Amino acid sequence: MLSSWASFAGIALIFLMVASVGAAAPSGLQVGQPFPLLTLPALADGQPRSLADFRGGKVILHIWASW
Amino acid sequence: MVGILQEQHPGRARLFMQWKQMDWPLLVDPLNLLGVSVVPVTVLLDEYGIVRAINPKQDEFQQFMEEVYPEPKHMDAPRTGRSDLAALEQAALGHDPDALRNYADALFLWSDESHLDEAIEGYTQALQKDPEHGPTHYRLGVAFRRRYESPFRRANDFNQAAQHWGQALDIDPNQYIWRRRIQQYGPRLDKPYSFYDWVIQAREEIEARGETPVTLTVEPGGAELAYPAQTFDPAPTATRPEPDPGGRIIRDEQGLIQIEATVVPATLQPGGSGRVHVVLRPDQSQKAHWNNEVDDLVFWVDPPAGWEVDTHYLTVGRPPEAVSQEVRKVEFELKIPDELTGPVTIPAYVLYYVCEDVDGTCLYRRQDVSLRINVAGGRK
Repeated sequence: MLSSWASFAGIALIFLMVASVGAAAPSGLQVGQPFPLLTLPALADGQPRSLADFRGGKVILHIWASW
Repeated sequence: MVGILQEQHPGRARLFMQWKQMDWPLLVDPLNLLGVSVVPVTVLLDEYGIVRAINPKQDEFQQFMEEVYPEPKHMDAPRTGRSDLAALEQAALGHDPDALRNYADALFLWSDESHLDEAIEGYTQALQKDPEHGPTHYRLGVAFRRRYESPFRRANDFNQAAQHWGQALDIDPNQYIWRRRIQQYGPRLDKPYSFYDWVIQAREEIEARGETPVTLTVEPGGAELAYPAQTFDPAPTATRPEPDPGGRIIRDEQGLIQIEATVVPATLQPGGSGRVHVVLRPDQSQKAHWNNEVDDLVFWVDPPAGWEVDTHYLTVGRPPEAVSQEVRKVEFELKIPDELTGPVTIPAYVLYYVCEDVDGTCLYRRQDVSLRINVAGGRK
């Protein structure tokens, strides 16, 4: 379990290094509520994808930017 | 692991992921439809898509991994596929601002760049009904900036983008995603960090691995690579003499070179600084070309007393070809006086060598540029 956390924390650190802009929680997201069912283009092929496509397994979601 | 990207240029994230050897799925949200106000954010979702933690600590992460979550009594059916543009267009005909926004969002995300005009029109109409809707200002700014970078560019697109991003931030100054978009193109004093300096290192390290770096459709430059500054660093006076003090060089009356200037932020606070983006394009309709056989393009700005600029005299280098038609860019920063209010126009000019066609007459010309600076009323 610690290695999962370490892997997760390592990736999180990458994002903190490139795009740390604040500590406030994002608007519109609430613990205990469903994640919004947005359909967005996938980076890989531009095809429509939604977080609902990943239902059935636990998801670690990173919302980030490369800047 | 899944990602959602809050970025105008997804190709840059593709390069970043290649650099860091990240291969998990990424969804692109250039309009910030998700409505997040900051990045990065980490969200833990259970098997049913329920948010279980936001920016979790280690113990929350461990609990999430171990927990067996109950199936909710009700789950919204997932929507799949692209938006139904025809249905959204029909709904937008009623001029409801939400319907107009939805149509414009769908056009932006799922149509090619030739439809950006319609997306911009949709957002503009939505703002006429709902002028204080910050997300619409932001998205309209994103659409203008994308059109500016596309073959469908129109005059003033970047300026419009900067203005709408500014209006969005005025409505919600705590929206850091919007703030960062302005800072990306804004002055060094306002930058929290260099936005895309990592691109250089990424390419070097990718090439060192024997790979070819992902090609970027829009190369970062100027403000996007500039580093933050704590104090404004004014240009020393008289390091270079003014190139045409008497105004004797013949003006480019034909408009062989088209010049567009944008100041970011669109409105400066008294005593504040801004970054001026000047773009120079040979007029394709006149078959104008740069003449590269003589000397570099020179840009000169000498603002009124009390103003500061980080440079007075700028040059733009030439490619090796005798003539060319590339876009040339000049960027500089200025700082305005504390007591200034209202819009102010400052003079600048450009000197360049231009040809009327590939084998046409080549001329040395000057073009005067009026840089309009909008200043917020009152003291900061």
